[in-house]
Amino acid sequence: MSRAPVNFLGRAGPAIRDGKANATNVGARLLADLRTAAIDRYPAMDETRDKARAIRLHTLANLDTYLDHFATAVQEVGGEVFFAADAAEACEYVTALATRHEVKRAIKSKSMVTEEIELNRALEAIDVEVVETDLGEFIIQLAEDTPSHLIAPVLHKTRFEIGELFAAKLDVEYTDEPTRLNDVAREHLRGIFLAADMGISGVNLAVAESGSICIVTNEGNGRLTTTAPKVHVAVMGMERIVPDLAGLGVMLEVLARSATGQPLTVYTNIVTGPRRTEEPDGPDELHVVILDNGRSSVLAGEAAEILSCIRCGACLNICPVYRAVGGHAYGGVYGGPVGSVLTPAMLDTNEDLPFASTLCGACREVCPIRIDIPRMLLALRAEASEKPLARSLKAYAGVATHPSRWRAMLRASGVAGRVAGKSGWISSAPGPGKGWTDHRDLPAPAPKSFHRWWKENRGAKDGT
Amino acid sequence: MEREAFLHKVAVAVKGSPLPPCDEQHLSGLVPETQSDELVELFVERVEAVNGTAHLTSPELAPGLVLGLARTYEASSVLSWDEGELPSTGVLRHLLTNGLTWVDGHVPADQVGRLEHQEAYHSVQLGLTGADAGLAESGSVVLSSGPGRPRMASAIPIVHVVLLRVGSIYASLSQYFAAHPRAAFDRTNLIVVTGPSRTGDIESKLTLGVHGPKHVHVVIVD
Repeated sequence: MSRAPVNFLGRAGPAIRDGKANATNVGARLLADLRTAAIDRYPAMDETRDKARAIRLHTLANLDTYLDHFATAVQEVGGEVFFAADAAEACEYVTALATRHEVKRAIKSKSMVTEEIELNRALEAIDVEVVETDLGEFIIQLAEDTPSHLIAPVLHKTRFEIGELFAAKLDVEYTDEPTRLNDVAREHLRGIFLAADMGISGVNLAVAESGSICIVTNEGNGRLTTTAPKVHVAVMGMERIVPDLAGLGVMLEVLARSATGQPLTVYTNIVTGPRRTEEPDGPDELHVVILDNGRSSVLAGEAAEILSCIRCGACLNICPVYRAVGGHAYGGVYGGPVGSVLTPAMLDTNEDLPFASTLCGACREVCPIRIDIPRMLLALRAEASEKPLARSLKAYAGVATHPSRWRAMLRASGVAGRVAGKSGWISSAPGPGKGWTDHRDLPAPAPKSFHRWWKENRGAKDGT
Repeated sequence: MEREAFLHKVAVAVKGSPLPPCDEQHLSGLVPETQSDELVELFVERVEAVNGTAHLTSPELAPGLVLGLARTYEASSVLSWDEGELPSTGVLRHLLTNGLTWVDGHVPADQVGRLEHQEAYHSVQLGLTGADAGLAESGSVVLSSGPGRPRMASAIPIVHVVLLRVGSIYASLSQYFAAHPRAAFDRTNLIVVTGPSRTGDIESKLTLGVHGPKHVHVVIVD
């Protein structure tokens, strides 16, 4: 992930001012309401969430074993497995595969992990045309934008913007009617699906026991991507494992309900190996790329629990901060509360994302896995603030324990006090003080230290 | 990266991981059934709730009903599972003797042949399949791939007609998996279809038939 040039505050300001966050707010509230209604219709939700949590934590605590089983099972049904330590290795594997098959055009169903490794860029660099087929991702690709929500990538765009985009890029008559925009995309992508050389998907969940991968989509692009082309490549974060089919069932019972309020996503697609000789259709080759890319460090650290996330997006929809600023303000691929934990943990930076939260706990309330996001945000905050704090305390000790340095410091602050003039406030300080004065003023030190004042006014009388 | 090295790194991470403890009592046992009486009624209600259409019929009436659907949508061709794979006999034959063209669902293995073959899928309007199961709670149908069962029949046409035996309706996906724990081993593709293809990507407004079928008719044969 090479984005995130400025910090959260730097991105959030413009996001609020340009009004785009309004569309996000409306969409997120609607999704949150749909979730609530679905759970009212499903009395077993709480019990199923307990099960889902237990299965995810159990799997992570034995992840090496389950990954080993999964890889063996995939190979047994005729699939290929590649273990990628990082984004570069994953991209290299897929580009080499594309070259070997002389792939001219690849189709993709929505996948956040391929966003994370920037696979499209790698394929385009070797002249493979990559077409995103999820309607939202297709719009994002046409607009040269980035997704702003885990499951609703264009939550930040209005239908008018999309209408103008289609008219300009697809050479069709302008319409802002969603049904007609839908049909334009269907017509445009149909031929592309049927003539593509390679299909690339993510993996929602993988079943260790059978070597199956499960991909859920509402639009059906996931099915076409994994059926029409000769080669199917599935890229998965290494944490997306469940032990068996029963475990997969539990996850699926909570996933769509938490995401969009549907009992199940329209297409729950379970793929176990490439097509067999007697089968009429399906891909002739299946490649599964299992990606680490920082996940093993997350697993070893304070934020390990976040790896149990199943990417439903419920924490985004409910989050007052996400609703106000939209997904792009988070900088990384994964936005909202889950992104505030995952991005700093994966990249090992002490960015300000863990502070992008009110700690209200709504994310934990709605999470189907009951992930304690606020606890991890606090841990990451502590981690982020420890480093600079330790440095400044050490510097302070160095000054305070040496009388000559102390007096020098007092003289320097006296100068600062006189420079600040009558206002008594410093509005722009150099060096480490800048972090404070960027957002508020600093009271100026007194021109004369108390020590000196005592000496001048009282010292003589008291004989000290 | 080598598999052993990768897995070793994961094993080391697991050992030092401060993961919260797993509550083992929740690991075993089924997901609770919410409603198990009146499965057929519930199934019909839920199919409609996800924008599908359910029909209850008999083996004798099924062929005529499906032909009627084909005429409603002005379908002139059909991509179908083989006659022997459909749970109700005579439906496909009835369509073909009444003027619908059969689109071959057997895709050649070579790349050129594959692409040429799939050209024909552009214009196919009707997909006809069976189903291994119906799921009452979600209004879904479960389809598995295999010989004589092209996956594309339920993926590419604008109309999907599913034939389902009334006896194969389960309470939920979890219940179906519990009854068929080897379902994913035996078939390369298991697809659970819950209503027509849809999206809410544009201003969260629901639109149907994005890439898959816009109309899903579940014909329950008693």
